[in-house]
Amino acid sequence: MTTLLQQLLREHRAELLADWLKSLHAPWEHPTPQDGTHHEPNQRLHALFEDILTALERPPSDRFELDALDPLAKHLRQLVADQARRGAGSSETIGLMLSLKRLISKRLIEQSPSDSSGDLLWLEQVFEQLTLLAFAAFLDIREHLITQQSLSLLELSTPVLRLWHRILLLPLVGVIDTGRARQITESLLEAIARHEARVTILDLTGVPVLDTSVAQHLMKTIDAARLLGTRVVMTGISPEGAQTLTKLGIRFADVISRATLRAGIAEALLMVGQRITSIEDGRP
Amino acid sequence: MKDRLLDEPFASGLVDGRVRVLVGVEQDVMSACRQARQLAETLRFSRTAAYHIATAASELAANLLIHAGGGLLQASALLNPTLDGETLGLELLAEDQGPGIADLALALTEGYSTGHGLGCGLPGVKRLMDEFGIESRPGVGTRIRAVKWL
Repeated sequence: MTTLLQQLLREHRAELLADWLKSLHAPWEHPTPQDGTHHEPNQRLHALFEDILTALERPPSDRFELDALDPLAKHLRQLVADQARRGAGSSETIGLMLSLKRLISKRLIEQSPSDSSGDLLWLEQVFEQLTLLAFAAFLDIREHLITQQSLSLLELSTPVLRLWHRILLLPLVGVIDTGRARQITESLLEAIARHEARVTILDLTGVPVLDTSVAQHLMKTIDAARLLGTRVVMTGISPEGAQTLTKLGIRFADVISRATLRAGIAEALLMVGQRITSIEDGRP
Repeated sequence: MKDRLLDEPFASGLVDGRVRVLVGVEQDVMSACRQARQLAETLRFSRTAAYHIATAASELAANLLIHAGGGLLQASALLNPTLDGETLGLELLAEDQGPGIADLALALTEGYSTGHGLGCGLPGVKRLMDEFGIESRPGVGTRIRAVKWL
């Protein structure tokens, strides 16, 4: 038996597609040239349209289930991925589908106001599933992007610099949480081993607040660095920071500390038996 | 920024001289610390006092996370009701529904820690701030109030 919906979809397919494309916004009418993909957005939409209609033409049942490997699911995810990368909100993809739903249900009701309730229910079910799928896909992609970005930020923010022969400089900028502390320790230890560093300057000028957890992270990093045979010079603790640390009762026992990076560098050079002099003094 | 609706009920950030931070993950501790400092600076605390307040907020927020699995940290301005709302100080309030503290005296002892900390968090906060009060009922939760006068 053919349902009203199946009949409608078969007879008015082309019109529906045209109406739908017309109802969508400008970005789809002007495919972005820098896209680089072979599919133009419009082709994607055509494919999605065909897929959705195929799903709708299934015999109605109590539950509409969509396999994750179904072409419809795949196309939808691709479309969502494209949009998420362009920085579009989740409402854009979902609005796209809901506008198709609106078009179909409008025609359905116009054609037969009395007998369309069963078909409308089915329509509702299919689009509900599609919306859920699109939203989940959108969140997945966003989360993936965010993880990628925070990873690259993490790497950006912990450079270990070779200041001089056997002297390393680790300027710390920003808050230090568990993840960053681990990253800092790892990259520092690796650099100490590679350069056979004798002295490491740990500059804390850019650390906004020194509390017990930051202090604890730093102590662990310093201990590990010492095991590799380097001495640590801490620099750049602000007067407020120093006062707070003592109030907290935190003691960096036998760590050399200097107020400024300049003093720290002088100290570090002294430790490896060098010093900075003006050119005149150095002449024989 | 787009989804205003989402953060309305738990409005975080500076609202009416008050900062509320729901602490649930490590990032919230940083954000509590930053916001408490901002509030302290807005209230014209000295640099050192603002640093003390920020550190105390960070310790309290970290405690919420480590010992109670999360809680609410509030920082608010204490105003003088008679003198045109002149600012008197800043109050930090940390509340949780965690396991509570069985022995308060022990928790305030220097160097004592149940977790893997340094054991100077709570006694440290007590020294950083001017007033310090703690209420705790095992199985119900803990409430810590600390005040810094301007």
